[in-house]
Amino acid sequence: MFKDMVNKQVLELKKLWANKRQLTFQLLNLAMIVFSALMIWKGLMFATRSESPVVVVLSGSMEPAFQRGDILFLNNSVEKVYVGDVVVFKIKDRDIPIVHRILKVHEKPDGHVELLTKGDNNRVDDRGLYAPGQLWLEREDILGKAVGTLRYVGMVTIALNDYPVLKYVLVGMMGLFVLTSKEG
Amino acid sequence: MAKKNKKSGASVEDAAAKPDEAEKVDEEEEEEEIEVELLQVDVGDIIKVKQILDETVAGTFTTEDVSTYGQVIQLEEDYSHENIKLFLMALACAFAAVAQFGLAADFPKNRLWLGVCCASYFCISGILQLIMTFIDKDCIMMTKPLSDPEAIKRVKNGGNQLMDKYGIRVRSQFPRFSEYYTVILEFQGKDPPSEFVKQTWSVGNFFDVDGFFDEEGLMLEVEKLYRRFEAGKFDKPDGNKTNSKKEN
Repeated sequence: MFKDMVNKQVLELKKLWANKRQLTFQLLNLAMIVFSALMIWKGLMFATRSESPVVVVLSGSMEPAFQRGDILFLNNSVEKVYVGDVVVFKIKDRDIPIVHRILKVHEKPDGHVELLTKGDNNRVDDRGLYAPGQLWLEREDILGKAVGTLRYVGMVTIALNDYPVLKYVLVGMMGLFVLTSKEG
Repeated sequence: MAKKNKKSGASVEDAAAKPDEAEKVDEEEEEEEIEVELLQVDVGDIIKVKQILDETVAGTFTTEDVSTYGQVIQLEEDYSHENIKLFLMALACAFAAVAQFGLAADFPKNRLWLGVCCASYFCISGILQLIMTFIDKDCIMMTKPLSDPEAIKRVKNGGNQLMDKYGIRVRSQFPRFSEYYTVILEFQGKDPPSEFVKQTWSVGNFFDVDGFFDEEGLMLEVEKLYRRFEAGKFDKPDGNKTNSKKEN
């Protein structure tokens, strides 16, 4: 039965290849679908001023408020962050963003702000995580303040990251489906 | 669209056709010794059924095979509308590609351009949707007006005076879960209400219980409909066909 499905799809693809105009149309259709998703992401980046408007919680350091696998929506267009805000930050020259809570805010007379963070479920503050010699975070290190959350939805992302082959399988299947379904 | 010639070997075969079905096809060929494989579809798949019907209807107007009436319709398909859509799609993709790949580098500085590209993408995408919903509606094909002087003379003598001015708009309707397929031919580009011809068939006329598709049968019926149009025998707008529930 699976072989039949595969054969059918191959036939559809061959038929598509023969008709260049239809092929172009379906390829552009597929491109538009992919780009729609990307543009929504970029639109969110534009609106929230954050380079990563949606993140997935990877560790359990913020339990019980956030669990591994939760999705967080960020907003970086806030001017100041305050004690108690849940923020996502990146330490300079490191890839992985961290989601923790603001513990201390020091505002100097010249307007410069220093921040200290700590995970709710951690025993100590984040100074151990910062770069060697760094004692405080700056506002620029903050990717955004958490303004919304969806529980467990991020598990899909974690699975896709742990087993990269799933990514290709998923995208391949979706692409094939769009190319050979002719509703457009 | 796959061209089904009466020569062997050039037909589209469905991989699910088993050997005993090839014999069945042999039986169905009365006088011809050459075997034509019939396309088989899952009749439950209404999208595929409509797609096959639409493709055959569109193919009837452009095919070079000689029909049983001894003449081919041979109209030229008008691609201008589709080209506009393709261009808009490509333009939207260009904006999106710039936003995705070109502006990714310095994010906070390029924020404004990013916004412009995103907004353009969504605008063009919206325009495309509007075109497809309100302008295309149920149209499956458009043809150019007749340009061959001999054909024009013949058609004008036959009764239809406008075929060298306007192309034909071929519309098809196949409501979900209904067994009736309707084809409407009307003038493209003429201010509404345009003269039209309309015909409804049950899909049972063209598909048997196993899903084998009678392409020839449908092409014959469509040609009959076209000849009515060509002869100027238009339908009345209040619908003298028993199936029309809405007036046109």
